[in-house]
Amino acid sequence: MPARAKPAPNTQAQATQPPSRTQSPKPARPSSADPQLPWRPATRVLVSLLVAIHLLAVFVAPWNLSTRAALPPGYTPGTDSSGRPLPPPPPDEPPWQQPRLIRALAGIFRHYQNLAYLNHGYEFFAPDPAGTHLIRYRVSRPDGKVIEGHFPDLKSQWPRLFYHRHMMLAEQTAGMGEASGNHYAEHLARVHGGKAHLEWVVHLLLSPKQVRDGKELDAPDTYRVLATVDADASLLKLPPTEEHPPGPLPQGSAILQPYRANGGGR
Amino acid sequence: MIGTLASGRDYCKELYRAWNAFWFSPTDPATLSLLRVLAGAMLFYTHLIWSLDLPAFLGPEGWLPVEYLRHEVQVQDVNGMQVPIWSVWSLFFWIDSTWLLWSVHLFALAVFFCLMIGLFSRTVAILGYLLAVSYVQRVSPGAFFGLDKVNVMLVMYLMLGPCGARYSLDRLLRLRHAQQSQPKDPVSTTPSTSANIAIRLIQLHLCIIYLFAGIAKLEGANWQAGTAVWWAVANLEYQSLDMTWLARWPILVALATHLTVFWEVSYCFLVWNRYTRPLVLWMAVLVHAGIALAMGLMTFGLAMIIANMSFLSPATVRRWVDPLAARISLLLVGKQVG
Repeated sequence: MPARAKPAPNTQAQATQPPSRTQSPKPARPSSADPQLPWRPATRVLVSLLVAIHLLAVFVAPWNLSTRAALPPGYTPGTDSSGRPLPPPPPDEPPWQQPRLIRALAGIFRHYQNLAYLNHGYEFFAPDPAGTHLIRYRVSRPDGKVIEGHFPDLKSQWPRLFYHRHMMLAEQTAGMGEASGNHYAEHLARVHGGKAHLEWVVHLLLSPKQVRDGKELDAPDTYRVLATVDADASLLKLPPTEEHPPGPLPQGSAILQPYRANGGGR
Repeated sequence: MIGTLASGRDYCKELYRAWNAFWFSPTDPATLSLLRVLAGAMLFYTHLIWSLDLPAFLGPEGWLPVEYLRHEVQVQDVNGMQVPIWSVWSLFFWIDSTWLLWSVHLFALAVFFCLMIGLFSRTVAILGYLLAVSYVQRVSPGAFFGLDKVNVMLVMYLMLGPCGARYSLDRLLRLRHAQQSQPKDPVSTTPSTSANIAIRLIQLHLCIIYLFAGIAKLEGANWQAGTAVWWAVANLEYQSLDMTWLARWPILVALATHLTVFWEVSYCFLVWNRYTRPLVLWMAVLVHAGIALAMGLMTFGLAMIIANMSFLSPATVRRWVDPLAARISLLLVGKQVG
């Protein structure tokens, strides 16, 4: 690609006002043999190396995230004493084959990628678009008032980017596990003061045929509860104030209710 | 044998020349300056939105407390113990008071605004990058998405070049100052090697983004079957324009799905050819505008279109933007400059 004779949209228009050299008391010492390349060769070599290393780091991050260990061709799992097939071993054990080069490069660049925020992939709507997750909540306050809501919610979260941030909150719970759900419940209990009950819901997608047959995208049976969480503000860790000085917390005050999965997983 | 060596030497010489031309030819900083204006605006808006519920998203005890992120999520295994990864960093990991949180946030907004208008451009580009990384690392995982990745990418490369050379308050201030000291040539803008490197890095980073976005889709059964676009537009939470009429046009869905995958996978090859480049870039506008309008991802779509503008030549940028910039400079300093 760089070897193309005319590859560059960026160099097509260099015709700007030339630098005014006439006002300089002494003519500048030429820094490069090629007048089209103002930087010295040593500088160019150094920058070339840095650019190559950086681009390799940029490339390795999504490469590493998109590659998985593989079983050897023709691998067949063994059977137990009853003749039933055994489950395959964990992916980090033989006979799984690890992508060693990619993992090694990822190890080398790991901290650079973290520092520069290059530590992610680019899997937009991949490998397949899926239904969205939502969080429904109900907070029962001590004064008897009940606050209900859900996120993301177009009616209360505006503009669209703010709504989208809440959508990501609900969506990324799936990757973080049950503790994140507990923290959402604790946050709501802390903000509203009371007992919070959360439902983690998936909104299933309809096929073209279902839509042609007249089914609505928000039909009640397209929402499925995956898990629930409960939290109580009266048991939460309070910020140190004059009324609540720092000190030992009451037992069981941090994580409150066990995460109960009561629906089909995805 | 000698002929083979000679042709090999010629190849290396040609490669060396091409590499130098690609990376180190000075270029007009017009494209980089335009990207600064647009990316600065996008960064300012993106971070302004955090203001609507700043403590919840970025405070120490928000939706996802810092303690939880640092000690349970962003961790690595060291001698059998889970310890925080030191290189995942954010200013917000050390902020534990509301007033400091808001102070940093207001400072960040000022930085992004200055980047947009081009005031102390290079300095605020560096600060903007550090701040943008701080915000996104605080919400990863949690509330980040593709927009943040593109924002950080753009500001990372903006700080490498003279992003305030054109279309900036810096330039107008230089003009006002230079009118007194150099009335004959007050605002010459020299071609810049670092501007070229910054633009090249954005272009190549964008190629990597599309390549892996395409490869990831190739693994999806619905992308292979040509139905993925349907599942995307049938998602009510994303929907900002009702496209469910596509249920009656499966052939259109299939066409859009396959075109998207082919375009993403081939972007990194076809964008460098001057004949296919316009097709690839117009397809980018079509895809991202479609995502923005139909799926409510306006900010992400715009950010990707801004990144694609790195392939515009400085001459094209100047033809479009200089007239507007000249009017603004006439208004502000009484002289027309691009």
